[in-house]
Amino acid sequence: MGGGDRPDGVSARAGEVWGQATAGFNLWVAGDPAGLDDLVAVMTPVLWHVVRSYRLSESAAEDVVQSTWLALVRRRSSIVDSVAIGGWLTTTARREAWRVAQGDGRTTPVADQDLEPRIPAARSAEEAAVQHDEGDRIWAAVDGLPERCRRLLRIVAFENRPDYRELASDLGMPVGSIGPTRGRCLAKLRVALMQTGEFK
Amino acid sequence: MSELSRDALLGIVRDVWERHDPVPDHLVAAMQAAAAIAASDLDVELMELVERATELVGARGSTSYTLRFVHGDTDLLLRVAVDGDRSRVDGWVVPPEPMTVRALPGDDPTDWSSVVTDTGRFELTDLPLGLLRLRLEPHDTTRPAFATPTFEI
Repeated sequence: MGGGDRPDGVSARAGEVWGQATAGFNLWVAGDPAGLDDLVAVMTPVLWHVVRSYRLSESAAEDVVQSTWLALVRRRSSIVDSVAIGGWLTTTARREAWRVAQGDGRTTPVADQDLEPRIPAARSAEEAAVQHDEGDRIWAAVDGLPERCRRLLRIVAFENRPDYRELASDLGMPVGSIGPTRGRCLAKLRVALMQTGEFK
Repeated sequence: MSELSRDALLGIVRDVWERHDPVPDHLVAAMQAAAAIAASDLDVELMELVERATELVGARGSTSYTLRFVHGDTDLLLRVAVDGDRSRVDGWVVPPEPMTVRALPGDDPTDWSSVVTDTGRFELTDLPLGLLRLRLEPHDTTRPAFATPTFEI
């Protein structure tokens, strides 16, 4: 794992989450049940977004999040590095989400053409008509990304330096292509956001 | 500097998802309860949820769904039906084994229990809504009790 290379606001905010997770975990291991409450409160939202990026239904996603917490309780003693607790949780959740998504048979292999923008015509006229304010236009830019980009950027945005090896296998991509793909996805998003006229 | 640095972009992605697919309101509290219960009951082995299906039943707006849990060689199938503010659980233990099934609703001290028939069936009726888990206590006392994770009715 590399050193901190995210100097601005996002990393500060993300860094806070991981720091709070570690503090909660340490407190719990030291015997205070309030630590577990804190850990669950701070990490459940992160797990939600990571798990939902696997196209699971809300109830399936909730089950995966719960399984992750139960796994933590059962395997607590095997976790030696409390600083890495956030990563342990997101990795466990992604593994389970991936397993459930496969089992559903709803996940289709991702082909290269998925990197092409989704066809705008797929959006209903009604939906297009209500996309008038800034928030809607920004959402449309994110939502309009190719599926693989949407998922990859959502995971990267909520996780703290995800394990590229596992991510690559989940997304059906070679490990070496995650970095470049992330770069291309960010570039696509940047262009889409510029086109909203909300950014210079 | 560009307003849209990598971190700014990832920040936008976070904001957008937080608004468009927010964490369900009840989720943090439900997960805190599930984790706390599991942590307080570490000596009881947990079954694993392997399947969940929801079916909507027309009659008077009642709903029902099925859950399947596994532990070792034991399969537990549950059909949970909600009617108004009460619910019932029809269960089936496979293979059948003499045991007592105890319902442990979240913070309700009342104890519901039922003995599994020789075909593996049991039923628990008039249960409150909310968080629930079932503990299975084999009558063969050399076998340890095991329990489902918390689920919500």
